[in-house]
Amino acid sequence: MKHLHEEELIEHYYGESTTRNRRHLQRCEACAQAYAPLARDLAGLEIVEPPARDASYGKQVWRALVATLPAYPARRPSWPRAGWWRGAGYAAAGVLLVLGAFVAGRQWEQRKPPTAARSGGAAGQQVVLVVLGDHLDRAERLLVELKHADASSANLVLPMREEAGSLLEVNRLCRQTVAQSDDPALAATLDRLGRVLTELANQPDRLSHATIIRLQNEMEADDLLFEVRVLRSRVPRRQPGGVIPSHGGTL
Amino acid sequence: MAENDQAAVRAIRSGDKDAYGVLVARHSHNLFRVAFRITGNEADAEEVVQEAFLRGYRKLESFGSRSSFGTWIYRIAVRCALDRVASRKLEESSRIAEATDLKRGNLQVADDTAGPERLLLSREIGALQESAMNGLTPLERTAFVLRHLEGLTTREIASALGAAPNAAKQAVFRAIQKLRQRLAALRSGL
Repeated sequence: MKHLHEEELIEHYYGESTTRNRRHLQRCEACAQAYAPLARDLAGLEIVEPPARDASYGKQVWRALVATLPAYPARRPSWPRAGWWRGAGYAAAGVLLVLGAFVAGRQWEQRKPPTAARSGGAAGQQVVLVVLGDHLDRAERLLVELKHADASSANLVLPMREEAGSLLEVNRLCRQTVAQSDDPALAATLDRLGRVLTELANQPDRLSHATIIRLQNEMEADDLLFEVRVLRSRVPRRQPGGVIPSHGGTL
Repeated sequence: MAENDQAAVRAIRSGDKDAYGVLVARHSHNLFRVAFRITGNEADAEEVVQEAFLRGYRKLESFGSRSSFGTWIYRIAVRCALDRVASRKLEESSRIAEATDLKRGNLQVADDTAGPERLLLSREIGALQESAMNGLTPLERTAFVLRHLEGLTTREIASALGAAPNAAKQAVFRAIQKLRQRLAALRSGL
């Protein structure tokens, strides 16, 4: 029979003995006799308790340390590490946004012509476009004239009043036509233009200084001249042969 | 507590130095206990605690988030205490060497507290054990303390000492052999 070594007896004392060694120790009297004094010696080693430290000991240690510790620099996630996925997300969102804008623009462009077509066939649409284009050209010239009118010169009212009266009737017809289409921006601009034209057309023979200033301010406030120019750019120009190109004609 | 420790570690790494105070307050008693048992000296133990927390703070970047901070700082403290005992042994050796030169070889035992006259006078078991402990190498003493007083397993001792499990087991074995021999000799001299 092979007896246990002292090392194995020590392992047994500390609970790390193998099952085989434990069983052997239970059966072998020689090993049990060798184990008994070892266990007695180890058990007899008195544990000297460390001197007591009060509850504030940790704080005392901290107070002694704190002055010597530099603060870690605040971490900012770097692109190649923590922020990689976030950056990739931003990039993907940007691509989606651009794609979405492109698709939406394409659909908007394709949706507009049928709207004009609903107002009365291809020939009717061309007539409306011609009339609207001419109307916006004339309105633009009148507004430019009004914008640069010298408030101190009241004698220029007659030609402007006559032109405004002429444009007012066409504007009303255009507004009625636009009411059947789905173009709120155009309708709103024609409404604002109509108010200015009405005021100009109903002025007495002489425009007062205050009236000119007020009309100019209204134009500025509404950006009316700018909006008329934008709308004019959306309406195709008349070709030399009197034909309006069918593509790209938008209201 | 472990989750709180992790939160504190994250805060420290983000620049909140005061969060370390929470960890220091929480683990100081534990570290002092093991430091005292290894060094056997109150003043040394206090210095070990401070040094361990200082080392821990400086090495916090290397602390793995899946580890327990308590275990991690405990291991640092064990190694600080081991270093402290080793340096003290070195100092004592040089001091004894100087004394030996002066007394022309009259000194036989490295630890003057282990002399039988002193033991006869004190008859204190604690002092006897301490003198026996002083005969161990720093590694043996530390391994024995972790095994016998702190209740660590062989694997845990090896981890704390940064040694192989078999080396840790052998250190405990040699420590117990020496202690039994010295205690038997000292008892017989009483």
